[in-house]
Amino acid sequence: MGASTYSRRVSLVAVLRLSVLTFLADPQWLVPSLIAPVIFGLVSYELFTGAGPWFVLYAILGAGMMSMWGQTLYGSGWATGQDRHLGTLEPTLTAPTPYVYVVLGRVIWNTVAGLFGGLIVFVVVAITYGHPIPLANPLEFLLMFVFVIVTLAAVGVVFAAAYVYTRYAGFVQNVGEFAFYIGTGCMFPVVLLPFWSNPISLVLPPTWALDALRYLAIPGYQGFGWGFWWDMVGAVGTTLLYLGIAASVFRRVERHVLEAGDLNDW
Amino acid sequence: MTEPALRSSFTRTFWVNAIFAPRTSLGFMRLDFVLGTIFIIPLTQMTFFAFVASLSGTPGGVAFVVVGNAVATVTYSSVFSVCQTTDNEKEAGTMEHLLVSPANRFALYFGRGLIPVLASLATVAVAIVYAVTIFHVPFAGGSVGDLAVSITLTAFAMVGFGLLLGGVALYLRTSIILGNIFLFLGLLLSGANFPLSVLPLPLQYVGDLLPLTWGISAVRAALAGAPLGTMLTLWGYVALCGIVSIGLSMALWNTFERRALSTGSIARF
Amino acid sequence: MTERSAIHARDVRRVFESRKGFFFNELIRTEALRGVDLDVDHGEIFGLLGPNGAGKTTFTKILSTLLIPTSGSVEVLGLDVVRQAAELRPRIGLVLGGERGLYNRISARENLRYFADIYGVPVVHRDRRIQEVLDRVDLTEAADRRVEEFSRGMKQKLHLARGILHGPEILFLDEPTIGLDPKSARETRKLIRSLVADGVTIFLTTHYMFEAEELCQRIAVLSRGRIVARDTVAGLRKLVGGDRTIEVEAYGFDDGEIQRLNRLPGVSRVMSEEFGPRLRLTMRVRTDELSLEQVRAQLVNHPELAVRERRTSLEDVYLDLVEEEAS
Repeated sequence: MGASTYSRRVSLVAVLRLSVLTFLADPQWLVPSLIAPVIFGLVSYELFTGAGPWFVLYAILGAGMMSMWGQTLYGSGWATGQDRHLGTLEPTLTAPTPYVYVVLGRVIWNTVAGLFGGLIVFVVVAITYGHPIPLANPLEFLLMFVFVIVTLAAVGVVFAAAYVYTRYAGFVQNVGEFAFYIGTGCMFPVVLLPFWSNPISLVLPPTWALDALRYLAIPGYQGFGWGFWWDMVGAVGTTLLYLGIAASVFRRVERHVLEAGDLNDW
Repeated sequence: MTEPALRSSFTRTFWVNAIFAPRTSLGFMRLDFVLGTIFIIPLTQMTFFAFVASLSGTPGGVAFVVVGNAVATVTYSSVFSVCQTTDNEKEAGTMEHLLVSPANRFALYFGRGLIPVLASLATVAVAIVYAVTIFHVPFAGGSVGDLAVSITLTAFAMVGFGLLLGGVALYLRTSIILGNIFLFLGLLLSGANFPLSVLPLPLQYVGDLLPLTWGISAVRAALAGAPLGTMLTLWGYVALCGIVSIGLSMALWNTFERRALSTGSIARF
Repeated sequence: MTERSAIHARDVRRVFESRKGFFFNELIRTEALRGVDLDVDHGEIFGLLGPNGAGKTTFTKILSTLLIPTSGSVEVLGLDVVRQAAELRPRIGLVLGGERGLYNRISARENLRYFADIYGVPVVHRDRRIQEVLDRVDLTEAADRRVEEFSRGMKQKLHLARGILHGPEILFLDEPTIGLDPKSARETRKLIRSLVADGVTIFLTTHYMFEAEELCQRIAVLSRGRIVARDTVAGLRKLVGGDRTIEVEAYGFDDGEIQRLNRLPGVSRVMSEEFGPRLRLTMRVRTDELSLEQVRAQLVNHPELAVRERRTSLEDVYLDLVEEEAS
C-alpha cells in the first residue's frame, strides 16, 4: 500500500461512529443524558412553580441548558480527556487526519445527544406540570434550540483544545461548571448580575443565544434591551469567534504538547 | 536468623490508607484541588442558586437555598471523592493487590475516609462563612458550638455514605456514575433548594434516607439557634445515617468483594 | 531534498521539565537524550537497545512525530519530523504497545476500522485490509470481541495490526514482543521479517537480546541518553573485546593472577564478579590461539578451579557497554 491520505468526510463519519459505539458501551452516558436532565428539570420546576407558567418555561430553558452543558460542552472536551486516559491520543495524533476533525466529529455527535437531553427536560417538566409547556413560536423555538446547542458546542471545541493542552482541563471544567451557569444567565437574567461581570457574560456565545431563545418562547420577554435580532448577531458573532479561536489554537496546542511530551499523562 | 512474621496491625493499615491513598488517587494534597473544591465550587454553586431563588421567589427564600447548597457542596469532597477511589484503584490495577492483602478491611477502607472527612469539614466551614459574610444569612441567634458539631457529623456521615457507594462501585464497572447520581439527587431530595414537603411522599421517604438531608437540617437549625433538644435529635439522625452507612459499606465491601472476584469485574474499568 | 537514509538524526537532545510540590515551585529537569546521532538505511531492521530509562521510548517518539526534540535535527524518509510532520505521518507506523492505547469497550475490528478511517485507508479497501492485518497477527477469531476481554498478548497483537494497517514505509516498534507468549513472539518476529521483505524499514527497541540478535542487521546501544555503540552484532562483539568468552571460577584470586590472565595472548579484558564465596573472572578473547590449558596454567593453586568457554553473546556485549558507560 502506498502512503495514505485522509478524507475529511471519512474521518468525520469514523469519529461519529466511534462516538456512538463508545456512548452505547459506556454506562456513564446515563448521567449527562438521562439522570441530569430529569433532575435539573424537576429541581427547576419546583423552584419556579410558584412564579407562574412563563417562569416555568424560563426554568426549563435553564435546566435544558444545564443538561446540554453536560452532554455537549463537557462531553466534547471530556472525550479528548478520555483519549489521554486510554492512551489513544498518541496514535490519534500520529494519524494524518488533523485532530481538529476528530474533535469536530465528536462535537456533532454531542450536539445531537445534547438536543436529546434538552428534550428530556421538556418531557419531564411537561409530565410533572400536567400538560405540554406553552410556547409562543414553536417552530422558531425548535430551530433556535438547536442553535443554542451549536453555541455550546463552539465553547466545547475550545475546551477540547484545553484537554489536549493539559490533563487538568477536566478539573477546570468541573470547577467552572456553576460559574458558567451563572455567567450565561441560564436560569436568571444576566442583568441581575453585578455590572462588572456583564462583559464576561457577553463573551460567552450561549448567553446571547439563550436570550434570543427566551424572546421566542416567552411573550413580552424583556432581556437585553437591544432585542432578538441583536441577540442573534451577538450569538453568531461570538460563536464564529470561538470557532476561529479553536481553529487557530489547535495547531499551537498540538505543538505545545509535542514539546512538553505529556500526551500520555492522565 | 528467622524473619519476623508479617504483621499488618489495624492502626498501621488505617494510617497508611488515611495518608497514602488520598495522595495517590485523589490529589487532595494539591493546591488546585484545595482552591477548586474547598473555595470555588461552594461559592459558585451558592451564588447560582441564590440568584435563582431571588428570581423565582422560592418558598424558603435566598437564605434557605444558600445554606442548603453550602452543605450540599460537601458531596464533592466526601461522596464523590471517596467513591472515586474505587475507580482509581481499578484503573491503576492496584485493587487486586488490596484484595489479596491480609489487611483489616475496616481499617483499609475507613482509613481512606480520614482526609475526605477533613476536606469535607473545610468545605462546609468555608461555605458557611460565605453564607454569613457574602449572602448575609442571619446567624445572630445561632451557636458556633452547635454549628461545629453539625458540620463535623455531616462530614463524617457523608464520607460514610461515600464509602457505602464505593462498596457498590466495587461490583460496578465504574463508580463515577453513582457519585454523579447522588450529587444530582442531593439537589433534589435533600431539601437543599426547597422544603422536602413539596415533593411527593415516596420521594420524601427517599430523601429521609440521605445523610445530606439531616446534615442540612442540622446546620440550618444551628444557624437559627434551635434548642438543644432539637439539635440532639438532628445530630442523632446524622450520626445514625453515618453509622448505618459505614456498617452497610463494610457488609457490602465483603459481599461485593466476593462477587467482584467471582465475576472478574475488578480488573475492568 | 535528497533522501540520504530512512532515518537521519543529528545531535538530538531532549530535556523534560516538570514541577512538583504544593505550590508547583520545584522545577525538575531530566535530560533524556544527550546528543544522539543515528542513521538507519532503507529496508533494514535496526535495533535500539538500552536499559530502562535510557531514552529509547523518548527517541522513538521523536522519530514518530510524537515529541519535539529540545535541539538537534531529525529526518525520517527525508522529511523533517517537526516541520514536515503532516507529510510524514501517513508514511510511518508506530507501535508503542502495552495495555493502553486502544478503545477497550469496542471490538478489535471496530478499533481497526476507526483507525483505518483516520489514517486514510481507502474506503473501498478498508474491510479487506482490516481482515488482512487481523489474519496476519492471528486475531481473526477474536476480532469481534471487546478489547477489554483481551489478554495482554492479544492487545499487543492488536497494537501491531493497527501499526501496519495503513501500509507504512517505516515502522517504529517499541518493545513489540513484550507480554507475548513464546509462540506469539516467534510469530511476531516472523511478521517483522515479512514486512521487511515487503520493503518496510523497521526501527525496533527491545530488551530481548536474542530477539535483537535474530532480527537486526545493525544495533545501537543507548545508555543514559547517549549512543555508546552502533554496529552489526559481530562488530559489537569485536568492540567489547572479542568473539570468545572464557570464564574461570574459584574461591578468590590474587591480583598477580588477574594480571597474568590479562597478559595472555588475545585477552582484551578481564572482569570480576562475586558469587557468594566464589569469584568469577570473565575474559573477552580476540584470538582462537589461546587454549583453556594456557588459562589453567596461570591458576595452578586452585584445585577447585572451574574453566569454561562460550561464544560472546549480545547480552555480554550489552552489559559490558552499559556497565562501562555507567562507570
